[in-house]
Amino acid sequence: MKYFLIALDIIYVERKMTSSQAVLVEARNITKTFDTVVRALDGVSIEVRKREILSVVGENGAGKSTLMKILVGIHPPDSGELYYLGERIPFPKNPIDALKRGISIVYQERGVIPHLKVYQFLFLGLEDKFTKLGRLQLEKIIGTAKSVFDELGIKCDLGSYLYELPLSTQKMVEIARAILSIRLATGEGKEGEVTPLIILDEPTAPLSIEERDELFDYLLNLKKENSFIFVSHIIPEVMKFSDRVYVLRDGKIVAHHDLSAEKVTEEELFREIVGRESYYELLARYGYGQEQPEERPTVLTVRNLTKKGYYTDISFDIHKGECVGLFGPAGCGKSEVAKTLYGVLSFDKGKIIMDGHELKAKGGPYSRIQKGLGYFSGETGKELFLYWPIRKNVSIINFEKVVRKHLVAVPVISLRLEKSLAEKIVKRLRIRAPSVDTECYSLSGGNKQKVSVGKWLEKSPKVLILEDPTIGIDVGAREDIYEVLLEMKRNGISMLLVSDDPKEYAILCDKILMLKEGMVQRVCTNEEFRGLMGL
Amino acid sequence: MKEEFGKSPVVTTIALAWRLIRINPALWTIFSLIVLFSIIVPEKFLSASNMVAIMKSFAVTAMLSVGPTFVILMGSIDVSYMGVWMFGGALVWLLYPYLGLASILIYPVFGLLVGIVNGYIHVKAKIPSFILTLAVTAVFAFLTTYVRNVSGVLTLTVPAYNFLRESPIPFLPSPFLLALPTIALAIFFMFFTKVGTYLCAIGSNEEGASLAGIDVKKYKIIAFMLSGFLTGLGSIAIFVHLGNQTRVDFDPSELIRGLAAIVLGGTPLAGGMGGPHRTLMGALVYVLIFNGLFLLPGVDPNHLKLYIGTLLLAAVIVASKALKGALIA
Repeated sequence: MKYFLIALDIIYVERKMTSSQAVLVEARNITKTFDTVVRALDGVSIEVRKREILSVVGENGAGKSTLMKILVGIHPPDSGELYYLGERIPFPKNPIDALKRGISIVYQERGVIPHLKVYQFLFLGLEDKFTKLGRLQLEKIIGTAKSVFDELGIKCDLGSYLYELPLSTQKMVEIARAILSIRLATGEGKEGEVTPLIILDEPTAPLSIEERDELFDYLLNLKKENSFIFVSHIIPEVMKFSDRVYVLRDGKIVAHHDLSAEKVTEEELFREIVGRESYYELLARYGYGQEQPEERPTVLTVRNLTKKGYYTDISFDIHKGECVGLFGPAGCGKSEVAKTLYGVLSFDKGKIIMDGHELKAKGGPYSRIQKGLGYFSGETGKELFLYWPIRKNVSIINFEKVVRKHLVAVPVISLRLEKSLAEKIVKRLRIRAPSVDTECYSLSGGNKQKVSVGKWLEKSPKVLILEDPTIGIDVGAREDIYEVLLEMKRNGISMLLVSDDPKEYAILCDKILMLKEGMVQRVCTNEEFRGLMGL
Repeated sequence: MKEEFGKSPVVTTIALAWRLIRINPALWTIFSLIVLFSIIVPEKFLSASNMVAIMKSFAVTAMLSVGPTFVILMGSIDVSYMGVWMFGGALVWLLYPYLGLASILIYPVFGLLVGIVNGYIHVKAKIPSFILTLAVTAVFAFLTTYVRNVSGVLTLTVPAYNFLRESPIPFLPSPFLLALPTIALAIFFMFFTKVGTYLCAIGSNEEGASLAGIDVKKYKIIAFMLSGFLTGLGSIAIFVHLGNQTRVDFDPSELIRGLAAIVLGGTPLAGGMGGPHRTLMGALVYVLIFNGLFLLPGVDPNHLKLYIGTLLLAAVIVASKALKGALIA
């Protein structure tokens, strides 16, 4: 705790200094269009100063990753200018080109190679300067690794495998690798004129709360010699540790704050990220939650549910035809609770009772579906079989509706039934597809999501768990999905909603649990929630 | 400082040994097997002639499995070693009248060529490596039998290499000595060049490896080349062991022998961890089991082939369980 306070002190001191820092990299008017239709970035300008942590925040699909990919040369921009220390330079053509400019990226999850030893990973792809006639000079490699680790303050055994290390240390090693590769690419020794710029793409996503603090202590220490672009949508972290913030929404910079100079609250930033104007329309159309009769049987009861490191003592009831929302910043444990209910994750303590039956900690989705649970995630491709036609994607969880028992005892899938079932859903949800035989990969994002939700429409589970049901799709498709979900609710299907979008809670939920760091902070009704969010 | 305090050297040594065993589960098996057979059949198992037999058998098993380990490490599979071994021997026999004693060198060259072809087809045409290399083996096995049938001889023996069968060192059989260069090369590539690290990285997380700037396709081809070359070089030891001739009929149990040694050693078929050092241990496990079983009273030697398949099955299951913790992480 004491150490943590000291760390906060450092932020305070360092923040005072930042406003006078020189600009390291500046990008002006970047525009990028994919497939000539979707404009991913529209005239975006950002500047990164020397020795600062700059945050870029925004919803999924706001254009954060596209911007970063342009900076490291994975995508070329359609137009725009790049300046390095005030001097105009061409955009990097590939990541190696970017390294020579002192820009490197640490990817969200896919970067770590678990079965390599720490020093092997540190030098992966950089071995050429440490090789003699094809033979690796292990002493030189380990020696350099040791001095880099001492300098950066990472404490771990160089000979251990990466999977043996805690996730936060893995991330630190990845960051060390980024710094090292910049040094080798720019030909600088220990200290040089090049200030490395390291882009961190959602670095804290897989980490627990303590691990995050550990990682941030490390970053604050490194800030003395490096610049960071911190891509995230976890607002408290951004507020706590960054010097400046850019807010991206729909491919445009909508706000810029210098946190050392101005006072911004978390709520203000939150509203800038989601942009509330467009929500009024939907709200007016679908009303605020729905009036429900008081006496309804309880369908699902959760008592003191705990999973160490993710959430503690979660308790709630879901009644028939009720929608309960779990709301909180990313990393508060809401999606873990949802996954636990569906059986993807196990839990340590507590009880889940469904219709009088207690569910086992390690059930798996199969047994949960048998008990009447359903799960729908808006993440494209997660639950759709993209190379299957629509009808098969629908019938995979509705087999009992498309099989016919003929003379033989074996249930035989009837193509006719399958088609008619799928056609019903396509019509009901206004899915734009040439036929039910169309393979799902060729559909647009919104239509894919409609197929995913449509299959549950026919299944009619007792409780449907929704995780980001409308993520990354346009308003029209959103409306169709909300309409269907509300209809299911009227028909007595209970729901549990997990999302990043407060508007969604206002439209669908009757009761909202506010979560913070894995604990329920308060329970509020739809009306109270709207008051809090200013919707 | 805190960790160092209060730890005697004995504790440190035990901790080190435990880590070694934990990382290399095959060590534990080797130890247990030796103790077990030394207790049950001490006179037969511990005799000098049996030790020589074990060494010969170890050389053959290791030579069939060390090369393909590199491909499995990378997450693909290479079963073309049977084809390299069989048809390479036929080539030596065919070319002996023209090249003389140098014709034995056709083995590594042929292995390398097969590896290049395998690698290119696998990477460029995106054909699953198992089917590809199995087909290659089938073709070469047929060609070997064909050469034998056409030439009208019973075996493809080259008696001129008889001098290779004499070992200059007592108690170390010549197949074992001939296997040593291959083993040394494999260990060198694994630990002293970047190739070993890269192949491990590709097997562990292909996307991550490519993000780290590794030319994944190139190193996939290199893995197949290494596999073919080392198998070709190692096949010389098997050639000599079988009496300067090659096998002319395809026997699936020999195919399984190579894979079993790899899996028993602790290189999972999914790749990402392990390497030739583990395969050597696996080969020893394999040899010890069969040598011991052969010596046990009441075990019918005719049934040994049945045990080979069962053993591979058991090894795959046990290995996947034992390494689960490491694999998930």
